[in-house]
Amino acid sequence: MSKNKKYGMTTGKRMRNGVTSVVLNAIMIVFSLSCIFPLVWMLYSSLKVKREFNADIIGLPSNPTLENFVKVLTNPDYHIGDSILNSVRTTVISVALIVFFGFIVGYFLARIPFKGSKIIWIMLLMGMLIPVHSLLVPIYVVFNRTGLSNQWFTLIIPYVAFGMPIAVFLCQSFIRELPTALEEAASIDGCSFSGTLFKVIMPICKPIMITVAILQTFSCWNEFSFALVLIKDTALQTVPLAMTQFTGQFSSDYPKIMAAMLITMAPIVILYFVFSQQIIKGMVAGAVKG
Amino acid sequence: MLSKKPKARVIFGYLCIPMLLYIFAVFVPLVAALFYSFFEWKGGPNKTFIGIENYITLLKDATFWQSFGHNIYLVILCVIGQVGVAFVFVMIIGTRFVKLKGIHRTFGFFPSTISAVAVGFIWTMIYDNRRGILNWFLRAIGQEDKTQVWLNNPDLVMTLVAIPLIWQFIGYYMVILLSATAAIDKEVLESAELDGASAFQTAIHIVMPMIKSTIVVCIVLCVSGNMKAFDNIYVMTAGGPGTSSMVMAMYGYSVSFQQQNMGYGSAISVGIFVLGLLVVGLTQLLQKAATREKE
Repeated sequence: MSKNKKYGMTTGKRMRNGVTSVVLNAIMIVFSLSCIFPLVWMLYSSLKVKREFNADIIGLPSNPTLENFVKVLTNPDYHIGDSILNSVRTTVISVALIVFFGFIVGYFLARIPFKGSKIIWIMLLMGMLIPVHSLLVPIYVVFNRTGLSNQWFTLIIPYVAFGMPIAVFLCQSFIRELPTALEEAASIDGCSFSGTLFKVIMPICKPIMITVAILQTFSCWNEFSFALVLIKDTALQTVPLAMTQFTGQFSSDYPKIMAAMLITMAPIVILYFVFSQQIIKGMVAGAVKG
Repeated sequence: MLSKKPKARVIFGYLCIPMLLYIFAVFVPLVAALFYSFFEWKGGPNKTFIGIENYITLLKDATFWQSFGHNIYLVILCVIGQVGVAFVFVMIIGTRFVKLKGIHRTFGFFPSTISAVAVGFIWTMIYDNRRGILNWFLRAIGQEDKTQVWLNNPDLVMTLVAIPLIWQFIGYYMVILLSATAAIDKEVLESAELDGASAFQTAIHIVMPMIKSTIVVCIVLCVSGNMKAFDNIYVMTAGGPGTSSMVMAMYGYSVSFQQQNMGYGSAISVGIFVLGLLVVGLTQLLQKAATREKE
């Protein structure tokens, strides 16, 4: 009552507020549900057999079965396990290198005046502006010529290169804000340059390195176009590539496709829902500062 | 800057590996594209120098310009559909009526973390003619005659492939804009409300100017993101039916890898490079202008 008095509300106004409240909440709830509905729909539909799904695409399964998951996982032709392994390996190595190189190059650009720093700066800036898909065809040509395509490490090279500019800029602007007294003190204590770099500066840069790692984990895991042109061997394909493979192979067996998609999406989806707050924070920081 | 500088040898030692790798993956291919674009080359051992013929073909290539138009169409739809709708949602979440704000953030952001390939498949299943949710829904509400093979409709296909993209990133931009509005002083909004400003007036005259620089960042991200649309179109339509949903990257891919015309494909890559840089550059100028105005 006191709250209503404060705003001088009449009964009419209160009713209007009630309607507004219901409408606004409904809009947001519909939006939020639409965002996870596909995931939920795939989860329960993958427990149906093809015939049941085709008869009723939206209903809950009447006798849920894990048949689709077993079929997908036990058939070695689908390379589901391989693709997850490849994606994990590519993502982990790429992200580690991006974070490490981003830190090193960012440190030199922030702290050390040297010949060529301008050139490096401009090259990285250009890298951020270049439309990556203009590199799709030529990178295939270059990698084919040099025998670098279709290897287990192939994708790490472009992923690290494409991730570097943003990583360098984020680290550089973070390190610039640190007091130089840190390094001065370490050097007085007799600490070598490399020792200072890794034992003094790197631990302080942990927050920004985590931001970079979060940003890059998702972009490496989800990257598709360069994997498409650089990887031919089904045993070497990453998750997004594998998805295009099995949707072709299973043609119209939707529940089976869904089962396979869920398995390959699982690592990143679980990661997201466990660490969603940190991930959202990191991605936003990366987007706004970059 | 430091008083004691490491030796040039040390600097070189630290920087040579990352920079060499970077140059190899970014600049070598760019130069290679420029080089091969002057050749007639079908990917085999033989290639013939033909000067700028590929570029003349490119300038007259209706499909290439149609693809460019489709990229621009996507950009416009997505700026309105992603950043615009995200702003509306931010205003809705900002009102005191809305509950479950944390859930909207977590769920809304989720689609942007999964791959465009997965999103493309999910929406292909939604649009599917016989087993799709869209046709199921139309039948359920008694609009059976409106059901169709959605992705085969050349007039609708660009909009239909844009919808998954929009859906995927509304939450992403919503969260970015939310973090910007969080910095706005609550008292400003409350006093506006007491002064009788409508929600619409508050949004346009108070919130929008205060988070203008973040909105511009979102627009820049949105433009560059949609100039490189490829994954979900490859999955959903591969540019079809015909070329009705062809975008630049998809066209470059299909000319180079499906028609094996690597020479012309390289010329298209150079075209994508120039046009992409032009559009993204223009948006960045816009960003500079907007931020300068503010200061």
